[in-house]
Amino acid sequence: MKPNKIIYLFLTLFLILTLEMNGFASVLVDQSGREVLIPDSPASVVSLAPSITEIIFALHEGSRLKGVTQHCDFPPAVKSLPRIGSYVQPDIEKIVALKPDLCIATKDGNPQEVVDRLSALNISVYVVNPRNLNTVMETILEIGSLLNADEKARLLTKEMRSRIDKVKLSVSRASSRPGVFFQIGTTPIVSVGTNTFIHELITTAGGRNLAEGNSKYPRFSREQVITLKPDVIIISSMTRGEVFEKVKAEWNRWGSMPAVVNKRIFIVDSNILDRPTSRLVEGLEMLVGFIHPELK
Amino acid sequence: MMDKTKLSVVKRTLAVSLFLAILLLSVCFLGLSTGSTGQNIREVFTILSGYGDQNSAMSTIVWQIRFPRVILAALVGATLSLGGLVFQALLRNPLAEPYILGISGGSAIGAIIGILLGLSRFSGVALLAFGGSMLTLAIILSLSSKSAMKKDSMILSGVMVNAFCSSIIMFLISITRESELHTIVFWLMGDLSTSDAHQTLRLSFALIPCFIVIFIFAKPLNLLLMGEEMASSMGVNVRLVSVVTLTVTSFMISATVSHSGLLGFVGLVIPHLLRIILGPDHRLLIPSCILGGGAYLVLCDLMARFIPSQGEIPVGVVTAMIGAPLFIYLMQRSKR
Repeated sequence: MKPNKIIYLFLTLFLILTLEMNGFASVLVDQSGREVLIPDSPASVVSLAPSITEIIFALHEGSRLKGVTQHCDFPPAVKSLPRIGSYVQPDIEKIVALKPDLCIATKDGNPQEVVDRLSALNISVYVVNPRNLNTVMETILEIGSLLNADEKARLLTKEMRSRIDKVKLSVSRASSRPGVFFQIGTTPIVSVGTNTFIHELITTAGGRNLAEGNSKYPRFSREQVITLKPDVIIISSMTRGEVFEKVKAEWNRWGSMPAVVNKRIFIVDSNILDRPTSRLVEGLEMLVGFIHPELK
Repeated sequence: MMDKTKLSVVKRTLAVSLFLAILLLSVCFLGLSTGSTGQNIREVFTILSGYGDQNSAMSTIVWQIRFPRVILAALVGATLSLGGLVFQALLRNPLAEPYILGISGGSAIGAIIGILLGLSRFSGVALLAFGGSMLTLAIILSLSSKSAMKKDSMILSGVMVNAFCSSIIMFLISITRESELHTIVFWLMGDLSTSDAHQTLRLSFALIPCFIVIFIFAKPLNLLLMGEEMASSMGVNVRLVSVVTLTVTSFMISATVSHSGLLGFVGLVIPHLLRIILGPDHRLLIPSCILGGGAYLVLCDLMARFIPSQGEIPVGVVTAMIGAPLFIYLMQRSKR
């Protein structure tokens, strides 16, 4: 080892030790594998995704939030918080002006460039990467520990776990596994592949995802959907009402599909199913109601 | 007699450059003092003069967010107007501009592929963009060469190549994943908000030599205005001048396009406006295009940040909204 390297190593160790002993900060490895300097109890946090905002509020730590994205809309208390732009293109200047102790980002939603730029400006960015129900619970626990709310996070995930187990138990009694076509886009028709939360939720709720496959968000023609003969069609949308009625009427023209015959076309609030938060469990229970109404 | 006119050209160039440099500097100062967190001219002045707390959030915002952005806007504006000027002189066509000729479109294809492959803006995306622009340039030249670089065939093949490039861009967008879609669409509309200090510095190292090379060719460009035969009879190596300036220009355009996306009309409006005011001498026009084009884009970017909306609007929207009507007005005026 060259003397230079040894000096650097000692300096780094010294820095980490002094910071830790003073209780100021610690170096953690986030879910994207980056080392991040985390203050002991961050008082001002900026959330770079709606899911993170929801988790922080679910942990009753909303008072630490100093900035959220334009898309953050839950819980209602979030309305009064300053906005830092969209999560794809946040306004870096606004974030810097808020002087956050910590930013929390998602690997999937926030572009890597945004994370790099904020880090270059000496802002700690902790990146989470929830990919399924288990990692959502891990993420909640990690955010809990970042915000000194370990106990609340433990209780929250414990409740999620028990509700998921309950669903699994009741679904195991079902005699069939209905085919589900989950529509997230209307023009073009887009569904969800195997590597998504919604796929996991559909399967856990005792259904078969008709769009399973490698493509994350596969496109379909109307013809293809009709050939798949879905037992249940679920349309995920941020806007209810007129749009949904139109899409539903469109499907109802094809009487050969079991979903039309049995009147099993539903609409759901997309925020419950595509945000990796504790609300996914609510979405899961709702899906069971759609896919296995007989179990109630 | 000869010496006297030469001296007056130098004097005039210096005077005009000085005026435009002052204009550029003041617009840059306005750009530095305005942003999404508000406007504070006095505070920015303290920070720029080196006093005040250099660790404050405002200082970070001014030096590390607004400063690279203003410099990038100035560089891109300068490059695009200079590019337009060179194309208009070489092709002796007032409509020639990188955007209209399809050179921007070609580099856009290269750049989008680069973004999709996840390469860094400079040099990965820039190199692919350069490849794309050289390829389109070659296609346009070979398409129009049979009629020996005639004005109309050049523009026509350019328009066709541009249309073809747009269809490829649309194709690439249609197969893009959701997460990258937003980045690409914003980039296509022309966007300066992703600038950071290191990239801007590297870009300026690449561009400034190009500016100098083009300035060296100012006199041959003047002679080319009188026609290729006239120019070669006066000792200009037309082929060499064309190849060097076209390559250098395509390189500058691709380097900037990879950073800022597609910005239309800058290369059309600024050279025409300056030509109307200053006359056709390229020794005067080249520095004026660099400084004036820079000031114009900094101003457009300022407006993009100023117009209140959800976040900010892409600067390409502003340049086109101002550029197109202004160009029509200039055309009408010069006809009279």
